[in-house]
Amino acid sequence: MPAAIRNLRNKPDVLFVRLPNVLSLLCIVVGVVWLLLLPLNEYSRNTYISENALLPGQVHAYFTGSEQNIFRGYKKELEVLLNEGREEGVSQDVAVTPAAHNKVHSILQAAGLKVATQKYEYTSAGITHHGENIYGIIHAPRGDATEAIVLVAAWKTADDELNLKGVTLALTLSRYFKRWSLWSKDIIFLFTPDSKSGTQAWIDAYHDLQPASVQPLPLKSGALQGALVIEFPFEHNFRSLHVVYDGVNGQLPNLDLINTAVAIAGGQMGMGTNLQEMWEHDDSYQARLKTILRGMTKQGLGYATGAHSSFMPYHIDAITLQPKGEGWEDEMALGRTIESLCRSLNNLLEHLHQSFFFYLLMQTNRFVSIGTYLPSAMLIAGNFTIMAIALWMRTGYYSDSKTNAPAEKSESEKSSDTKGQSMTEEKTKGTPVAERLMAMPLTLVSGLHLLGLVPLWMFNTLSHQYFTTATYVFVVVDVVLPLLLAALLSSGLGLSAPIVPQQYLLIKSFTLLLLGLSLSTLATLNFSLSFMIGLLCAPLSFIVRLQSPSAPVRFAVSTIGLLLLNLLSPPIVLLGVCWYTGVSVESVMTQAAFGWDVWGMWTQVVVWCVWWPAWLIGCVVLGSSMF
Amino acid sequence: MAVDRRKVAIFSAAFVLRLVLVCLFPSLPDLLTGRVEVSTPVNSFKRLQEGLFLYTRNVSPYDGGVFHQVGESHAMQLRGFSINSIVQQAPLLLPLFALLPDVKSNPLPSAIFYFIVDLVNAHALANISASGQSVQSRLHSAIRKHIRWDGGSVAAWFLFNPFTIATCLARSTSVFTTTAILFAVSNAVSGNSINAMLALGLASYLSLYPALLFVPVVLLCYDQRAPKLPKIAAFIIQNASILLGSVAGLLGLSYLITGNFWEFMSATYGFHLLVPDLTPNVGLWWYFFIEMFDSFREFFLGVFWLHLASYVGGLTARLHRQPLFVITSLLGVFALFKPYPSISDASLYFAFLPLYRHTFPFMRYTFFAIAAILYASLLGPAFYHLWIYAGSGNANFFYAITLVWSLGLSILLADSIFAVLRDEWEQDHPEARGSEVKQV
Repeated sequence: MPAAIRNLRNKPDVLFVRLPNVLSLLCIVVGVVWLLLLPLNEYSRNTYISENALLPGQVHAYFTGSEQNIFRGYKKELEVLLNEGREEGVSQDVAVTPAAHNKVHSILQAAGLKVATQKYEYTSAGITHHGENIYGIIHAPRGDATEAIVLVAAWKTADDELNLKGVTLALTLSRYFKRWSLWSKDIIFLFTPDSKSGTQAWIDAYHDLQPASVQPLPLKSGALQGALVIEFPFEHNFRSLHVVYDGVNGQLPNLDLINTAVAIAGGQMGMGTNLQEMWEHDDSYQARLKTILRGMTKQGLGYATGAHSSFMPYHIDAITLQPKGEGWEDEMALGRTIESLCRSLNNLLEHLHQSFFFYLLMQTNRFVSIGTYLPSAMLIAGNFTIMAIALWMRTGYYSDSKTNAPAEKSESEKSSDTKGQSMTEEKTKGTPVAERLMAMPLTLVSGLHLLGLVPLWMFNTLSHQYFTTATYVFVVVDVVLPLLLAALLSSGLGLSAPIVPQQYLLIKSFTLLLLGLSLSTLATLNFSLSFMIGLLCAPLSFIVRLQSPSAPVRFAVSTIGLLLLNLLSPPIVLLGVCWYTGVSVESVMTQAAFGWDVWGMWTQVVVWCVWWPAWLIGCVVLGSSMF
Repeated sequence: MAVDRRKVAIFSAAFVLRLVLVCLFPSLPDLLTGRVEVSTPVNSFKRLQEGLFLYTRNVSPYDGGVFHQVGESHAMQLRGFSINSIVQQAPLLLPLFALLPDVKSNPLPSAIFYFIVDLVNAHALANISASGQSVQSRLHSAIRKHIRWDGGSVAAWFLFNPFTIATCLARSTSVFTTTAILFAVSNAVSGNSINAMLALGLASYLSLYPALLFVPVVLLCYDQRAPKLPKIAAFIIQNASILLGSVAGLLGLSYLITGNFWEFMSATYGFHLLVPDLTPNVGLWWYFFIEMFDSFREFFLGVFWLHLASYVGGLTARLHRQPLFVITSLLGVFALFKPYPSISDASLYFAFLPLYRHTFPFMRYTFFAIAAILYASLLGPAFYHLWIYAGSGNANFFYAITLVWSLGLSILLADSIFAVLRDEWEQDHPEARGSEVKQV
């Protein structure tokens, strides 16, 4: 082994050019394989309840019998009011008619809750979203109004269905909970018109951080300890409970909350639970991996998956409970599950903090925690840093071809007159150390990263009907811009000294350093996004400026390379994913702009200010071999 | 004086950049003011504003007994234990800021005031560079004199350093200490020892720790005037008395303003020395003192301060031929080991480093040091977010990153000292130039 290392020193070609490539590739491969190993029993763990105070399923749930009659009564009343409203011409886009809205208000008031309303309006991508939230507060008979639990029922579910039974169930529960004397935390019942904007407006206003178009809340309670969202958008009985947990920007609720929901639904109520739309989960490797990957996709895209998502940025753990399938469980079973969950949350002595906040679930009772999965994203981010360091060393200690050296020197002497910089070669006995010409590479890399603000601003402010066109325009820009920049660079920009080969290496080094930096930071905030962008950017590590002697070969190879790279450009990837999933580009971009404006989602920042500049510079480096 | 076009371009570009940032992102200054990386208890603009509020209403901001619950700053909730005073900044800043219009209703004048202070700092830095002290002093002459940046470039490195910009936008009061230190040095390189001592007195009055720079600054002055002044001891005593006199004068003025000498002394210098506020910052003290048993507190306070002060003697003795580099390295040491460091201290150190452009070829780990600093500056805010806002991390996350930050700075510091020593060594051993050396 020491002999091998000594040999390396004598072969700078291997040390500075081949070895980093091998190491980078190894990092990427190990990173991916690492992720693929996670579903195995050896690397994952069974979930467990960390917070002893939760005591899930230890209390008897009394929500039965006569409450069902009240449920039916409320449902009938709301149904009639909704149908009347429709006949009077309330459009189908609005889930709730004014009469039904008022009815909710009066039912809450009749049950003895303090009730208040809040109007809000958001404009995003030229579309206005407005509505009115109603919420009622049960003041804890045994508490001091310093802590609260939220139960949310949106008139429209996350899948845009009418959530009539969910709203009715919440109303019935409000009446039922009011009569209990055992609550030590306030319980807030929140009714929003939809699952996208209503909770966001409410929770922002609860913390006094609302924009001007959202009304402040007239009535408040204490610090929110947890939130449950109730959905029940169909008439028939259900088979299992789907727990949705992803928050905005990939933030997750404390694992204890999910564990409690799973334990209560499975252990106490005897109904099945599902995660990530995996209706048939046979606990095989494939099913586990599929669950993880679905979870990562949602986390990586960072959008709100339901009304619960808006709570996460405020450090309030929240989940949505969706009944799914055809079975024998009725709304009372769902009600008892929620009652039991509320009793567990009611037991909490402090905010949920014991269990994990960073995890990947692969089954309702199996997960991997951050310590186990983080290395895979870090390895992928690390490959860029390794390459950056190697390129830096290479520019200092190793000249690619001996023939180029004198030419470089004369060029640099010219530049030293104009720019006050010089490139002196320190002739030491061992390895030559070259001064680096860093001004131009630094300017180019930082300039192109700032250029990312243009598409970021554009795609967040355009009106929604232009999104498709803008995306196609951007595809064309992505083809032309790198060639244009490469041509400009090789012609020396017409003002300063012409670019030397060393500077291409420096450009690549700096951009990869930045990419590695950003991705490893991102991995701690949103593992999945970092992993996905890292994989999409992986080819950038291996791009070189071709220096083969014959021009036609260079031209052909770099053209093919550019074409392939263009397949990995952000707009093309977007178009590809849209085509594969069958969603229109416009709706994706509208959703993204909505996320930016309302939810505070920053996936776009990563795409346009991290991924796109790195990709662009990669293309410029490759494209420069044509000139 | 001929107007240097390039310098004017750099200065106006820096000014416009700051103005554009403030106008485009009006919430940016307040955001930065609240960041623990930028604002520490001793330089926080927010605390100064709270003190100013009391001062303009004729209530002593240094009398905490009654008012220490008034403060509503975020930092207060994080404190290890209660602190008596609202303000930890020097009293003379209060009447200065009372002259500026109210920040809440009209933030632009005070922002522009800070921009101008930054430009003044850059000007002083350009003067230091123009003096050529970094390459050619009385006892030392660098070999690679031709590799250097002129004043304009050095000023540009300072003005366009993101850390400097962040400090300026956050309106941290450490920029005034920076100004005083830069003026002390720029007067010292031209041999104007009285002005240098007055400026150093102001710096020490504002932040206490610059007093440690006394020896190298005096040496720097002495180098300029050596032929005429044979006795160094007399020169040191003479300058020390000027320094003490200026500090005494400033303290006297402060007494006139506040009316209670010991109150403001304990609120400002007592605060610097005894480190009662353990709000997180980029330094190494807070976590250590939170974890420590109270009975050891005094002992370790002594050890930490002794550690910080001990660099003065060692560096001055070893590098006495280049006092300007002693100052540079000490600024780096302060940025690392001060009780309340912020990125403004690092930005001052980074401002001096380009003066030693001629030693850069000898530095071996610049890339790693800068990569570590970049990693820390991205991961620091991310981990602080996870700890304080998302609640999914904890204090150890942020502390780990401050360790990385300190690691990056210390690599840079050690590497620059190595490079300068190597430069000195080559000067002494012309026959060995270009041979490989090993650091042991």
